[in-house]
Amino acid sequence: MQQVAEPNRLAESREPKADVCCLFSEWKRMTAIGCRPSAIGRAIANLLLILLCQPAWSWQSPTRELEEAEEQAFKRAVSQVAPSLVRIETVGGLDQVQNFLLGNGPTTGVIVSADGYVISSSFNFLSKPASILVTTTDGKRLAAKAIANDTVRMLTLLKVDAEGLVPARPTAKPSIRVGQWAIAVGRALDANAPNVSVGIVSAVNRVWGKAIQTDAKVSPVNYGGALVDVDGSVLGVLVPLSPQDNSPVAGVEWYDSGIGFAIPLADVLATLDRLKQGKDLRLGLAGFNFASTDLYGGDTKIDRVRYDSPMYRAGFKDGDLILELDGHKVTRPAQVRHVLGSKIEGDKLAISIKRGEETKRADLTLVAELPPFEAGFLGVLPTREKVGSGSTEGGAAGDGVGVRWVYPDSPAAKIGLKPRDRIIKFRDQSITSAAQLIDQVSRVRPAEKAAVIIRRDGKEQSLEATLVGYPADLPKDLPTSAIEAVADAESKTPDDNKGGEAEKLRTGRFAEEVAESKNAWWAFVPESYNPAYAYSLLAWLHPPGDTLEATVYDSWKLEAERRGIILLGLKAANINSGWQANEAEFVHETVVSFQKKYSVDTGRIVLHGYDKSGPFATHLAFKHRDLFRGLLLAASAVAERPPENLPEYRLQFQLICGSKDPAHASLEKMAKSLQGIKYPANFTSLSDLEHRYPNAEGIDAMARWIDSLDRL
Amino acid sequence: MQNAECKVQSVEQSEGQIPLAVLFQAPTASRSARSRSVMQLAICTLHFALCTVLFPFSAHAQSTRDTISALQPKVVKIFGAGGIKSLAAHGTGFFVSKEGHIATIWSHVLDADLVTVVLSDGRRFTARVLGAEPQLALAVLKLNGAEGVEFPYFNPDEAISAGTGTRVLGFSNMFNVAAGDEPVSVVHGVIAAKTVIEARRGVFDSPYSGPVFVVDGVTNNSGAAGGVLTTRDGLLLGMIGLELRNAKSNTWMNYAIPVNELASPIQQIISGKFERKKDPHEDEPSLKPRRYKPLDFGFLLVPDVVERTPAFIDSIQGDSAAAKVGLRSDDLVLFVNDELIQSCRALHEAIGRLESGDQLRLVVRRGNELVNVEMPVPKKKE
Repeated sequence: MQQVAEPNRLAESREPKADVCCLFSEWKRMTAIGCRPSAIGRAIANLLLILLCQPAWSWQSPTRELEEAEEQAFKRAVSQVAPSLVRIETVGGLDQVQNFLLGNGPTTGVIVSADGYVISSSFNFLSKPASILVTTTDGKRLAAKAIANDTVRMLTLLKVDAEGLVPARPTAKPSIRVGQWAIAVGRALDANAPNVSVGIVSAVNRVWGKAIQTDAKVSPVNYGGALVDVDGSVLGVLVPLSPQDNSPVAGVEWYDSGIGFAIPLADVLATLDRLKQGKDLRLGLAGFNFASTDLYGGDTKIDRVRYDSPMYRAGFKDGDLILELDGHKVTRPAQVRHVLGSKIEGDKLAISIKRGEETKRADLTLVAELPPFEAGFLGVLPTREKVGSGSTEGGAAGDGVGVRWVYPDSPAAKIGLKPRDRIIKFRDQSITSAAQLIDQVSRVRPAEKAAVIIRRDGKEQSLEATLVGYPADLPKDLPTSAIEAVADAESKTPDDNKGGEAEKLRTGRFAEEVAESKNAWWAFVPESYNPAYAYSLLAWLHPPGDTLEATVYDSWKLEAERRGIILLGLKAANINSGWQANEAEFVHETVVSFQKKYSVDTGRIVLHGYDKSGPFATHLAFKHRDLFRGLLLAASAVAERPPENLPEYRLQFQLICGSKDPAHASLEKMAKSLQGIKYPANFTSLSDLEHRYPNAEGIDAMARWIDSLDRL
Repeated sequence: MQNAECKVQSVEQSEGQIPLAVLFQAPTASRSARSRSVMQLAICTLHFALCTVLFPFSAHAQSTRDTISALQPKVVKIFGAGGIKSLAAHGTGFFVSKEGHIATIWSHVLDADLVTVVLSDGRRFTARVLGAEPQLALAVLKLNGAEGVEFPYFNPDEAISAGTGTRVLGFSNMFNVAAGDEPVSVVHGVIAAKTVIEARRGVFDSPYSGPVFVVDGVTNNSGAAGGVLTTRDGLLLGMIGLELRNAKSNTWMNYAIPVNELASPIQQIISGKFERKKDPHEDEPSLKPRRYKPLDFGFLLVPDVVERTPAFIDSIQGDSAAAKVGLRSDDLVLFVNDELIQSCRALHEAIGRLESGDQLRLVVRRGNELVNVEMPVPKKKE
């Protein structure tokens, strides 16, 4: 047995510094004198020894273990949801929709109930297939029937004849966290196994409250499939969506781009019973629009409450300010849209508004359709003030708007209005411009009364007019509005170009070609063009095969000079095959450029089609109701269902046809159906005319109509 | 008592010194000490053994970061012909032998007289095409002037396969963003699916027909073809293919050709024993006459009016094979021998391809039901 060293020797070996070499010499010294490890020392030594014995390759970084675990989790989640996914194949149907080529490969669906209901993306059925086939994970093939569509969230419900299917498990919405794993699973690529894309939840409540946003690759290979979390429970059903566009193919151009959308499965299940009944689900409307066009900067003041809408029946009025919707405070139109964007007809809406000092609350039940909007008709053509004469600020203070002409037998005629009267107040609103008066008149419905204060020969008179609906017939004569000749050559250029290196504006007949597209256009600006006056603009779309440039120019040039109409004849890229849908941009841009260069009245821009260019003209007019105020169709029947007449757009129709033209009957029918949904529409029949471009009588009628577009 | 003495001493030492003495005590040569040492040895051996057993496959156990740094030297940037319109003049390739053989995609880039290869560290070599198998979209290059130099490489025979959901890495010179002496770009993703592309049917406009890994990750950008797809551990999966559009879904595909399919041709080209496989479809006349018609089986389809007229049966001829198996008019033919029939045209083509002696299996939809029927293909009198 060794003896412990004498204490004093240890005490002597004290050293001031404590670094490694000193530690080492200290350790050497201690073992040399016979000290052996204590309990603590032994424990530490054991630990070090064990760790050193670990083979080098098992020094795993925690990163690798995490990566491994995540990979296993992805695979597990996919196998969990796989039994609830079906492969959908379709047979027959259209090749393309809205110029968009439809693929015909397999797509995906999610089983939502054990007795055979399957939900999928409406995109998968755009082709309107003749037959739908569903294949489950175990390989069983089943015939399927489409039951109903959710047009708000772009989903379609199918039914197959089966039992014992495995419905998908939804994730509860409140538990969804931005940044969590989100795996997009489809069945389109391979018949035997699901296809997978891994991403995260990028955002929730996207596209006006409808969808979960993910950066997993979402595309036709998994539209209709499931977005799952790492547990295998379904966050949502994958669909193409776009916040800017509601068309069926909107959002597909964003496929595989890092932004994809899924409708929360919990939301789908909540409306499943209604879909099962076989009725399509449509957007729920309250019946109002905003005064401000700035979605993000404007306020929530209501411009108009639609007649007989849920808002109207609850007693809300034009000018109310929306404070709260469903308990959320709102200050911007975008916030309101966010609450309303996912509402379906029949849903409830709790709304509170402020009117002056008082507040008002109500619970509305939203509807899918509102009664058609109808503006009242007074029967007056306002005087056309000179451009820049300050008429928009009211000219001489309190001068109102002058009466140019009164329609015979109209409400204005009945209260005795005469040319040269000035309307200074309408419904207690001081009138400062024709545009404002048009707006005010349109807020009164036919059969309603309106107070009109006029000034005649210096004296004011208070009258009350009972408005009517827009007359079906055009007046037989319509006086022209005088356009003074230009005083001197200088004033041919518009004011803002004076003094600069301005291009002299062309008048008379001229033409131009557009370099990038193969389009071109010709134009006729009256020789007597005076920028001090506002002109109408007639945008002419020729039928396929013939631009009819000479015919249209010769027929219209007199009326153009007389009534102050600028003619713009647009030419398709391929004259023989006619207008293609993608040329809408060209037409829109050219009209806008003319409107900017010349003095054009924005309320009198007309789109004119004839024969086979009718459908394109109609489609364009509906697409750009903010630009076009009139649609003029000659001998051209259109089957396209018009969108609702909205108070913010003032689109008017003139349909004209020869009595011997085969299109006569259908054109007359179209005019009647437009009148039925309360669009201001006229039909003019030209006696003894076959299928040809309208004759002089027709041109006269069309010119009269254009000249009356600023009527009240 | 002896322990106490050692400890007491350490306490007396000054502040600055680490009390190493706390780790020590008076030596004891008792049996307990010895058995403790034996125990220690036993524990260490056991631990070592367990580690070896529990991590048999961890020969490659490393994180993604380690994988990437190990693999970058094996991937090269290739420059050659192109640069006009949408054809890039650059591509990617990877070493498949230590002598400097490179596997890459068979493409227009190799059309140049001189192909330049730049390594991840900037070393430049010219290269020549040693051999190619266009049907596999494969080409093998050999570096010039690389005698005696050894290169890090992938062994194509060690390529593996992997399932959906496996995390993968793609290495490529997409968009030619790697300038000169830089390593190529790395993207990550998972295997989205494993499926087959059939070039011949016109659905995929690709020279390659066969199994592919479809990747959830943007691997197939311009210039990426010829790059590699690997697992996180660096195991070789596939060669990134040329840009390809899937006509069924109207979308661009990200995919790689499994190296398992390419290993054999690569080794043959390297060893000089390569013979180009004859294209099995080369001898077929481009327009095959249709051997059979629906009428041969006793049924007629509705008139083919639009592009996708569904294949509805218009009428059945009495006493024919169709009548015998119970086909009826208004049945919609959905499958011919497991092939989905999208239109009348497709049905005519599918029946036209039958051979005598085959069976014709149809799946038709009658109302909401699916009905299976089978008819023998009659002998054709030549």
